[in-house]
Amino acid sequence: MKPAKFEYHKPETLDEALTLLAEYGDEARVIAGGQSLVPMMNIRLARPDHLIDINGIDDLSQIRLENGSVAIGALVRHREIEHSAQLAQACPPLPAAACNIGHYALRARGTIGGSLALADPAAEFPLMATLLDAEFVARSGAGERSVPSHEFFVSVFTTALEPEEILTAVRFRTLAQSEGWGFRWFSRRVGDYALVNAAAIVALKDEGRIHRIAMVLGGVGATPVRLTGLEQESVGAEASAGWVREISSAAAARVEPGGDKHASAEYRRELVELLLAGALEDAIDRCRGRQAA
Amino acid sequence: MSGVKPEDTARDGFDQIGKPVPRKEDARLLRGKGTYLDDIEVPGALHACFVRSPYAHARITGFDLDEAKAAPGVVAVVTGHEVNDWTNALKMAPPIEGLQPTEMTTLPVDKARFHGDPVACVVATDRYLAEDAAELVYVEYDLLDAVTSYDAALADGAPLVDETLPSNLVSHQKFEAGDIARRKAEAYRVVEAAFAMQRMTHLPIETRGCIALWDDGRAHLTMHIGSQAPHPMRSMLAGRLRLAEHQVTVASPDVGGAFGQKIIVYREEITVAALACRLKRPVRWREDRLENLSASLQARENAVKTLAAVARDGRILSLEAEITEDFGAYCFYPANYLARVIGMILTGPYRIQDYAFEVKIALTNKCGAGPMRAPMAITSLVMDGTLDAVARELDIDPAEVRRVNMVRPSDLPYVMPTGEKLEDVTPSECFERGLEEIGYAAFRDAQEADRDNGIYRGLGMCNVIESTTYGSAFYKAAGIPGSGHEAAWVKIEPSGAIRASAGLMGTGQSYETPYAQAVAEGLGVDPAQVDVVLGNTDISPYGMGARGSRGATAGGGTLFLAALDLKAKMLDIAAALLGLNSPSELELRGGQVLRHVGGAWSETGLGLGDIARTAYMDPLKLPEGMEPGLEMHRAWDPPQMTYSNSTHFCAVTLDAATGRVDIDRYLIVEDCGTVLNPLVVEGQQQGATVMGIGGVLFEHMVYDESGQNLCGTLADYMIPTACEAPEIEIVSQNTPNRRTPAGIKGMAEGGIMGAIGAVNNAVNDALRPFGVVAERQPLSPDYIRSLLRVTG
Repeated sequence: MKPAKFEYHKPETLDEALTLLAEYGDEARVIAGGQSLVPMMNIRLARPDHLIDINGIDDLSQIRLENGSVAIGALVRHREIEHSAQLAQACPPLPAAACNIGHYALRARGTIGGSLALADPAAEFPLMATLLDAEFVARSGAGERSVPSHEFFVSVFTTALEPEEILTAVRFRTLAQSEGWGFRWFSRRVGDYALVNAAAIVALKDEGRIHRIAMVLGGVGATPVRLTGLEQESVGAEASAGWVREISSAAAARVEPGGDKHASAEYRRELVELLLAGALEDAIDRCRGRQAA
Repeated sequence: MSGVKPEDTARDGFDQIGKPVPRKEDARLLRGKGTYLDDIEVPGALHACFVRSPYAHARITGFDLDEAKAAPGVVAVVTGHEVNDWTNALKMAPPIEGLQPTEMTTLPVDKARFHGDPVACVVATDRYLAEDAAELVYVEYDLLDAVTSYDAALADGAPLVDETLPSNLVSHQKFEAGDIARRKAEAYRVVEAAFAMQRMTHLPIETRGCIALWDDGRAHLTMHIGSQAPHPMRSMLAGRLRLAEHQVTVASPDVGGAFGQKIIVYREEITVAALACRLKRPVRWREDRLENLSASLQARENAVKTLAAVARDGRILSLEAEITEDFGAYCFYPANYLARVIGMILTGPYRIQDYAFEVKIALTNKCGAGPMRAPMAITSLVMDGTLDAVARELDIDPAEVRRVNMVRPSDLPYVMPTGEKLEDVTPSECFERGLEEIGYAAFRDAQEADRDNGIYRGLGMCNVIESTTYGSAFYKAAGIPGSGHEAAWVKIEPSGAIRASAGLMGTGQSYETPYAQAVAEGLGVDPAQVDVVLGNTDISPYGMGARGSRGATAGGGTLFLAALDLKAKMLDIAAALLGLNSPSELELRGGQVLRHVGGAWSETGLGLGDIARTAYMDPLKLPEGMEPGLEMHRAWDPPQMTYSNSTHFCAVTLDAATGRVDIDRYLIVEDCGTVLNPLVVEGQQQGATVMGIGGVLFEHMVYDESGQNLCGTLADYMIPTACEAPEIEIVSQNTPNRRTPAGIKGMAEGGIMGAIGAVNNAVNDALRPFGVVAERQPLSPDYIRSLLRVTG
């Protein structure tokens, strides 16, 4: 279980890294926390000729609160997100997601940029990026561009990043005072990828009707699935227990999860219904709590 | 000399045996100062890497090794065509009725029989280059249909896994005692039940591996290899390599777990050793995790169906069991080896005399199976699960069904229908104590109330009779080749320094500490003074090794006997030095010779150091005719079996919506006789129970229909972590065994047996309102939901 031969580069600046990427293109892989890439290299499922280690680059490790959004540098570790007081205030779903990733050692090393660039469809951060309308900042020698989450995740382990691009930061929208959120998952053991996960944000207006809503599911397709159609249908609905049941069962009917050795498609569909209902209940409760406060 | 007899060594109280002495090996193991295989530096060692079949079943039609041989750093690339010429095949043909003889060459040349079968070996100057070159070995295959289940293997026209056999049914035995037909005719009802365990693997933290050093001048092979049984391994290695045993040293460094995976010598290790001898250069091999998961040794995957003829009160009149097992592609062990014990002790602590079983073992295109900690694991689940089935069908309380069938204290010694004798066991005492501790009646009331609120709790009970130690008489009676004896020596050096050794090798469970206690008890010294050396066949005496929960009884017991004999010699010397006619008034305690005079013990001024010095340096002062020196060797063959017993209680909550099982409470009452070290025993109880829970809820080695192994990583093969391990309450009882030194019994596997039964029975108890029964493991949420879905 040894990786195939590769050349290791450790640039000190982003420009140096981009120059290396421009030179080696798809023969290179960027390594940050290495929590997924290294195991894949060891079983030779990943065989980059060049490994560009960005851990020495400054400026990629900040969490910056901006107006209505928060920009998180690609090198920010899961542990920092888990324990960030400003995120707990401005965007609580992110710490909630981070503390659920793997185990302590993995969270100390793994990075948000790495997790998003890996694009595992059951992972926490892709789910949250899809929920929170994230903007992905991609840099190359040619400049910088911003990719919205619905374009960023292309398929399983596949993103819109070009071979010469580095994901430098991700911008998530923060939660408004009127919004409540929920995040539910099911995994067989603590720290495993969820079989299915679900997250929701709800804002209510007069007499408890849905004003704004976002719903996303993970583990049911090649990318996190934003339930855009159901979101639109939900606006104006009364956020009752009955509505939660209805919308969750509608979501379960619409998704097309796959089956594997960990869970059958049928079981995943059952989890969608349960977890989405739980996430919506939590979101509505938090929303009402905030309104009461 | 004959020495002290084991049955004369039981005592009410011991000085050192039974003390919670902290594990002395932890000082090195927990501080990173252990020496595992990879810590051994061998300058110039070559690295081996195996090329493995990507197919479950395929004819090998050709090899192209040229490109690999030309790759950077490559020293040799070999296949079975060379290695099989250098080595003997493994013949598995014990004279057992119904067992097909098999033979396995060191590497296959005609066909690959499972996904992961080693077909070639690359040796290079480092492991990276060896793996690079392994990718350049081209093997031409003609795909064959694979048989990947027990049923498929025995279907008409099934492809043959081993083409020298008439069918894939590699072993078939029957047993009957009493009069089943008559009991069934008398019965109130005949209750059917079914149980199945999935394929698993041992998963030691440290995978297999070895370093082979060939000394061409002395024509001697030193094999560094983690081994539970260094001496039998040396004998096997020598035989396969066509060397005499004195030409081979097996040296086991610290071992990071084994669980039964490191008893025999495998094909990879023989290949590596043969290459070292041929190349006359050191060769090392470290199995990687993917290989360990797919090609090391696997276990379980057995199923048992029972028919219990019962009376109206739940009493079992007769029991029939049909045992089947998927043994995988190769016989690394006699195929009947594991299932035989299941049949033998299935009736456990219950009074059943009319009993029959049939065992059928099939070969399939999967990794070969062998013993894994508690090879008979399914027995307690089957027996107590059958009792639960009886309770369900007759609507009797499951505790009551156990009570009416259980062996009572007045029944002891109780001879099981297979001839196994239960003595010095306390099943009903442990069970009743467990019912009390768990608050049985209160639980049932609360369970009923919770069900009305949609909360589904279950209580599982499992009474375990654990077969341990396995003396030679067992092997003879079971028709399994092997011996059960163990050997030990204790030496006191001229300065008084104490060393001891036995043939067994520990793999992390702590042998050095309890062994030091056994020796210290026997000698009358402090355990801290005793250095225990294990694992090197040049140093250790020839013993049968660590397996079958025999570490304490066979290893500790034999050491205790050797130490007692050595103490007797020392007291003879002391008597001579003190001018006494006999040592009858003398005793050694704390390293000092004490004399019993006037009703009290008083110091004599003589110490162990004085005796040692005399024994070595002043032999003229020894009693007449006594040999100089202080060295004692003992070999001891334990009784056929020493049985421990326990009762496990597990309370669960079942989430009907997700199928998830949460363990709310776990309680064990266990009687494992005289305990050498309660800390070590508790570690074994906790570890075994968690391993059992892992089997019930998580672990599953999955193969697809074409025989592809789908569990190549630890993200695929799930074991419980600390987060999934419940708190385990343990109540100890200690009934000494009358036939063993100090009354010791074995105990390292019962936790698995109990957990597999208790957790499964608890889930079925929780499922009761739904009218469904889980009949196979693991009890994954998906599987539980599939049962509940049917009920709507």
